[in-house]
Amino acid sequence: MATSTYLSNPGVIVNSVSLTDQCTSATVTNTAEALESTAFGSTSRVFVSGLFSQEITLDLYMSYAASETYATLAALVGTTTTVKVSNTVAGLATPSATEPCFTLTGAYLEALPVINASMGELSTISITFKGGVLTTAVS
Amino acid sequence: MYKIVSPRVGVPGTEFVPEKGVNIEALIAGGFVVDTGAKKSAKTTTEQPKD
Repeated sequence: MATSTYLSNPGVIVNSVSLTDQCTSATVTNTAEALESTAFGSTSRVFVSGLFSQEITLDLYMSYAASETYATLAALVGTTTTVKVSNTVAGLATPSATEPCFTLTGAYLEALPVINASMGELSTISITFKGGVLTTAVS
Repeated sequence: MYKIVSPRVGVPGTEFVPEKGVNIEALIAGGFVVDTGAKKSAKTTTEQPKD
């Protein structure tokens, strides 16, 4: 049984800036690229691990006010930084087994939607940090 | 040395010690921290020509 239901707990820090109150979705993906090693005589495909590839995707409300979303991200495009995500805000500072903190160091921000305007809706953006080294802190 | 300006980073007025991988230039550009160790431009004096 058991699923994880997120109401208001998760915490997000981008480049040391807390964007928890602007974030509505966070996905951390740890991928080990699959290299096919199937050979003659095999009856099923076989894979071995290649390079690891990490991604963190965040959905954020866009705000151009001081110290908000745009001010945090604008200068990060085309550079690398550190992104932290935990299932609780407390886990960012004091991680534990049930509140792990996932840290992506050397995360590259390729693109930033600088405006996403629709009539009658709060402006939101989706950004993806790629690459880097993912570490998981549980204590 | 860097000093925190925005509460999104920490307690304003306290020292900010960047963790490994943090893009400090972006934090300064966004107005989140200030570099208190930034050197002021050197003063130059121009001698007045003697009459």
